[in-house]
Amino acid sequence: MAIAQVVDLVKTYRMGAVEVHALRGVDLAINEGDYMAIMGPSGSGKSTFLNLLGCLDTPTRGSYFLGEQDVARLSDAQLSHIRCHRIGFIFQSYNLIQQLSVVENIEVPLYYQGRSAHESRLRATALAEQVGLADRATHRPHELSGGQQQRVAIARAMANDPFIILADEPTGNLDSATGTEILALLDSLSQQGKTIITVTHDEHVATSAHRVVRFGDGRIVSDT
Amino acid sequence: MLGFRVQRTVSMGLKSLWLHKLRAVLTALGIILGVTSVIVMLAVGEGASQAVQAQIRQLGSNNIILRSKKPPEDSSTASATTFALSYGLKYLDAERIKATVPQADVIVPARHIDSEYIVRYHHRVSGTVVGTVPWYTEVAKRTLSQGRFLTSLDMHRRATVCVLNGPIVRKLFPFHDPLGAVVKAGSSDYRVVGVLEGRNAAPGANGAASEGSGVEIYVPITTLQSRYGDTIFKRRSGQFQATQVELHRIIVRSPSLDEVVPISKAVEQILAYGHTKQDYEVVVPLQLLESAEETKRLTNLLLGSIAAISLLVGGIGIMNIMLATVTERTREIGIRRALGARRTDIIVQFLTETILLAAGGGLLGVALGVVLPHHVVTRFFDAPTIVTARPCILAFSVSVGVGLIFGIYPAYRAATMDPIEALRHE
Repeated sequence: MAIAQVVDLVKTYRMGAVEVHALRGVDLAINEGDYMAIMGPSGSGKSTFLNLLGCLDTPTRGSYFLGEQDVARLSDAQLSHIRCHRIGFIFQSYNLIQQLSVVENIEVPLYYQGRSAHESRLRATALAEQVGLADRATHRPHELSGGQQQRVAIARAMANDPFIILADEPTGNLDSATGTEILALLDSLSQQGKTIITVTHDEHVATSAHRVVRFGDGRIVSDT
Repeated sequence: MLGFRVQRTVSMGLKSLWLHKLRAVLTALGIILGVTSVIVMLAVGEGASQAVQAQIRQLGSNNIILRSKKPPEDSSTASATTFALSYGLKYLDAERIKATVPQADVIVPARHIDSEYIVRYHHRVSGTVVGTVPWYTEVAKRTLSQGRFLTSLDMHRRATVCVLNGPIVRKLFPFHDPLGAVVKAGSSDYRVVGVLEGRNAAPGANGAASEGSGVEIYVPITTLQSRYGDTIFKRRSGQFQATQVELHRIIVRSPSLDEVVPISKAVEQILAYGHTKQDYEVVVPLQLLESAEETKRLTNLLLGSIAAISLLVGGIGIMNIMLATVTERTREIGIRRALGARRTDIIVQFLTETILLAAGGGLLGVALGVVLPHHVVTRFFDAPTIVTARPCILAFSVSVGVGLIFGIYPAYRAATMDPIEALRHE
């Protein structure tokens, strides 16, 4: 059953006088438990697609169903609500908040959900333990290695128990050994039944995914 | 639920400010100094105005004080003053006032002989001999520290008794009980029957409160009249000068505050009728009080506008830093937006920080403003200060308001950032 589905998704930017056709009509169904890698050259529209899937942006045309809901035409506040409850983000550069500790970073999505401090702390601590950072719970991001920081980011992406986890080059800033560790962590999440979509240049990452979607010039060119 | 959210937002804001302690303090400095200076200035103003009002009240707000004044000399009178300079209030004036303004219930005439030597054995001081009536103390709000004041019998018998004031007692009787002793003023001896309490007089109240602060000896006005006559001869730099002043001062007391002004108007008319020259002045403490209050109001207005400007400057300083902070934290804003923060959440976050900064500054300013007047201004500059609650509350609320107003724009800037752009920000 499709947990997320896009129909004829079009995104056009204006950059000064030039119209940029980032997406020219994308149809894709994402099933629950999918572990999908999105690949493609720079400028093929995969980042734009990920931003749309992450509800950070709205399409120029087309529909995007997340669960039962069409989220393509929602207001900024409604999109924030969707991000808060349905989507987990993992970034290439980790994007942890520097002044917060490990558990506090994991708590951020729960804070915006309005959960109680006690409940959030329990959940964040459990997640830190799950990604193997129980002993670093009170450290600041700058005291951690890149791999550890990315694990915090993964724990944060799971904090709100999202429909889909979106990962943008999750191993892009890591050496290959650490990258392998992170991929193993993503694998284990996938085995737990999480839906993961990752954008990557790295064929190594793509092989660990169950499904590879290739983008070219704003369209899907292959889906295997 | 709401209280819980507020608490968490505030603790988040405090944490974020705590991260840059020095920056926060420097940012709030404008507000701190603004609030402090407002409170200190108002405390000094209030202290001065209370001191002036207290002095004016000592004169008695029900009283109208008439004083003899040497008329301005002009060429026509100059030739006529070769022998005896005659000016000032007359006994007749007192009689007229009594007859014309019956509601003025008490009238106190007084006559001064200035620069008389007052002698006890080898102690000698220069002072003023005041001839007055028994009800002087009641009207002029003076109290006795020892003995009694003059009585009607003293008046009737032209008794050679006197009442001393504080300064003269300290000089003539450093170790003795003055009661019953005899002092010599001019060429006559007087027996001391009482001592008046000193009065804390400070300059500033238009000289209205200057009496009572120097060396004074009070004798019955009848006695004074018989001892000195009407004309006073004085030798001044080799020249004899004769002045003829019947009364130096008349205090008219009004039965109620409402009647002070009408009575003073009536008295002025009576005096204008009887005097060809402007050789008297009318002092109405109530009007002095009213003008002092008007002055205070204007001063407060002035201080208020200075305060408003300094708080405005402080607010601009805060806004400046908050704009820089927002730019610096663009990435954080992007992350928070991606993780589900609504625009409102971002606005609340940054507005809270600004208000906390301003309120913290205001609080520190109030604390300094409460402490400084007493411990610094009064101690080192010897100026009376009174800190009242009103400017403290006002200055604090204004600083919170400044934080709110100057926080809106930076918070709005933060909230309207495109999350995708913000995430890319280096």
